[in-house]
Amino acid sequence: MTGTEEPRIGVFVCHCGHNIAGTVDVAKVAQTAAGLPNVVFATDEMFMCSDNGQQLIREKIKEHRLNRVVVASCSPRMHEPTFRRVCEEAGLNRYLFEQVNLREHVSWCHMREPEAATAKAIDLVRMSVARAARLETLPVKTVQVTPRTLVVGGGIAGITASLDIADRGFEVVLVERQPRLGGNLINWTHLFPTDETGAEVLEPLINRVRNHDKIKIFTDAEVVAFDGYIGNFQATVRETKTGRESHHDVGAVIVTTGFQSFKPHGYYGYKITPDILTLAELQEMPRSKELRRPSDGQLVKKLAFIGCVGSREPGVKGHEHCSRHCCSAVAKAAADLRARTEEVVILYQDVRTYGKGHEEFHRLARSRRVIYSKFPERDKPKVTLEDGRITIRWHDVLADEDLILQPDMLVLASAMVPPDTADEVAKLFSLTRSSDGFFNPEHIKLAPLTTHTAGIMIAGAAQAAKNAHEAAIDASGAAAKAVGLMARGEVEIESTVAHVNPDLCSSCHTCVTACPYHAISMDTSRTPEVALVTEAKCHGCGTCAAGCPSGAIMMRHSTTDQILAMVEAYLCPPPAAQEVRAQ
Amino acid sequence: MSSHVLQEQASAEKTWEPRIVAYCCNWCSYAGADLAGTSRIQYPTNARIIRVNCTGRISPEFILAALDLGADGVLVSGCHPGDCHYTSGNLKLRARWALMEKAIEQAGVDPRRVRLQWASASEAQIFADGVRTLIDQVKKLGPIAREWR
Ligand SMILES: Cc1cc2nc3c(=O)[nH]c(=O)nc-3n(C[C@H](O)[C@H](O)[C@H](O)COP(=O)(O)OP(=O)(O)OC[C@H]3O[C@@H](n4cnc5c(N)ncnc54)[C@H](O)[C@@H]3O)c2cc1C
Ligand code: SF4
Ligand code: SF4
Ligand code: SF4
Repeated sequence: MTGTEEPRIGVFVCHCGHNIAGTVDVAKVAQTAAGLPNVVFATDEMFMCSDNGQQLIREKIKEHRLNRVVVASCSPRMHEPTFRRVCEEAGLNRYLFEQVNLREHVSWCHMREPEAATAKAIDLVRMSVARAARLETLPVKTVQVTPRTLVVGGGIAGITASLDIADRGFEVVLVERQPRLGGNLINWTHLFPTDETGAEVLEPLINRVRNHDKIKIFTDAEVVAFDGYIGNFQATVRETKTGRESHHDVGAVIVTTGFQSFKPHGYYGYKITPDILTLAELQEMPRSKELRRPSDGQLVKKLAFIGCVGSREPGVKGHEHCSRHCCSAVAKAAADLRARTEEVVILYQDVRTYGKGHEEFHRLARSRRVIYSKFPERDKPKVTLEDGRITIRWHDVLADEDLILQPDMLVLASAMVPPDTADEVAKLFSLTRSSDGFFNPEHIKLAPLTTHTAGIMIAGAAQAAKNAHEAAIDASGAAAKAVGLMARGEVEIESTVAHVNPDLCSSCHTCVTACPYHAISMDTSRTPEVALVTEAKCHGCGTCAAGCPSGAIMMRHSTTDQILAMVEAYLCPPPAAQEVRAQ
Repeated sequence: MSSHVLQEQASAEKTWEPRIVAYCCNWCSYAGADLAGTSRIQYPTNARIIRVNCTGRISPEFILAALDLGADGVLVSGCHPGDCHYTSGNLKLRARWALMEKAIEQAGVDPRRVRLQWASASEAQIFADGVRTLIDQVKKLGPIAREWR
């Protein structure tokens, strides 16, 4: 089936259990679809993505010689790959599949308007059927994968990923911008859930990385240029001190650039005295038998902590999330320091010691008579200096009492926020970021370690606030993805790229400057010269096509004709669409 | 035309609902619309989303054609400047936009019928609010046929 013969379209409308069918009259949608031009089969089915649903598509392709398939179900961002595969299993080119989004875009957002929702569903199906009739077979292309992975960031995530990959026999280029490996974790002296320091946990791993013949380490270095496509990336690494640059061909990338701890200026008197500091700064103080305050070296008798500093602030961009390590880290630090002090008080909004073994530290802290006091979300503690003494006033929710404390030292459990480099890193690797500023995975549940740029993975705190245990799990997962890619040796790439019709090109160079990926150059072997797309470099954004004044550029799988067919099908429905023809 | 169809048209006239073509980029606004659904954010049903890879793909032709075919409004929704999945496609669209608004005006269409908005994959509410804003605006302007053709 080449896609050039007369279209024979099959339409499969999914109930998604009650998710779609609870709002949209799916039977009516299927019946209406059956009456559309080129549609030779239409039905509705409980779960299209289930084994039964998939089997149904394969059967009907055979039975009705379908050469186009439209599935009206959930978001294509979820199941387009599934249905494309099903089509291929039945011998149909994957690009002859089209999906309609009846769940996220219809039933779930119009729950109280079943009739209007059904009308919208019918329109959307009609639009997709019109597009499907114009879909074309495209070749499924594969490229070789360079068996080497670039790991950016040498914290616990980067170290773990590098070791996992190298132990499987593949080469790693590990780039860390600081002079030493270890990331944030290596600084922490009070580590949960084990009773070691960060350095004790990491040093054996760092030694293994240093001695591994498959791992090439660049510390004090950054990736300054990055180009290419899955399996075939080129990275330029610059060493900050010497300015020396080296070039590396890699097949995959794992971004493990982590986080930085928020400096909470303007919160709870941070830095109005050196004795008000963050948890990160406390942890970075050299380990000793006594706790002395930074200002004058006096012993700390009364110690206080405040939680959720710069975290969980609704409406404050980049600070809405829970930082997920602080409750446990505070419990651990407080339990440790209780013996060195007379009193330890933790002011908290909520206690979320959710991880394996974390609640135990919370309990340990309480059993050592660390005092926990809950403050109201809307009435945060006030911190002032009175006669040079730190003074905290707050309302204890559980006792319903106003309290005052004058600790010798106040520790603020501040948020995890993305590092300063996140902007550059996002640009370099074409990553997107969520509202908290961390990098987005391809899909939060289905593809949590890959990104929207094929061949580029994320792991650890680069993705969201995490503890080290979770960062290491991610890292092994991302390493497995990279190893899988390299072990296969070749990978399929999208065929949805730009194509210049040389006869129409007027040599204006508009597209050459418009393309964000330098994928278009002028073919000077022709007179006059014409634009030429290097397909492997093209990401298929279509910016060139929209800019070309001569209409010379065709976007495969997103042709102007296909798009306008949808518009027309919506606004000028064919007469047949108004009748309902039985199946 | 049968009297039945005429009757239907008459009643359609009374309960006129604007028809909106919405071009959304796959990576931000289409995903934002997905999240609006997942979050069960309810918004008016008038918009029909057409997915394009990038707002950079949207040529003025797409917008003019939709208006020409009878859309009462056109929404273009993409990634925030600086956040484009393809690094800068949305900036190219933004550069074209001012010109496009002029072209629309010259064609005798009120430029308030077209709306350009930025909504990221996590900004479901912003997406839904934008759809509502355009629909409210277009409802005030009435059906496009009044001043067009
Ligand atoms: C105060 C505090 C206490 C904590 N206590 C605990 C605890 O007790 N137990 C626990 O499990 N977790 C704890 N955590 C969380 C823990 O620190 C993180 O989960 C862990 O550090 C995440 O590791 P990572 O490798 O993902 O990121 P990071 O540790 O942040 O490492 C990222 C690395 O990438 C480098 N980098 C950044 N940008 C670039 C770039 N552009 N190019 C090259 N390199 C770059 C950085 O320099 C850094 O070395 C704590 C966190 C804080 C703030
Ligand atoms: S982990 Fe605890 S202290 Fe940290 S932001 Fe979440 S709730 Fe607040
Ligand atoms: S923009 Fe169009 S006409 Fe101009 S060089 Fe590119 S393909 Fe040719
Ligand atoms: S579609 Fe985008 S990436 Fe491909 S050549 Fe055109 S502008 Fe470049």
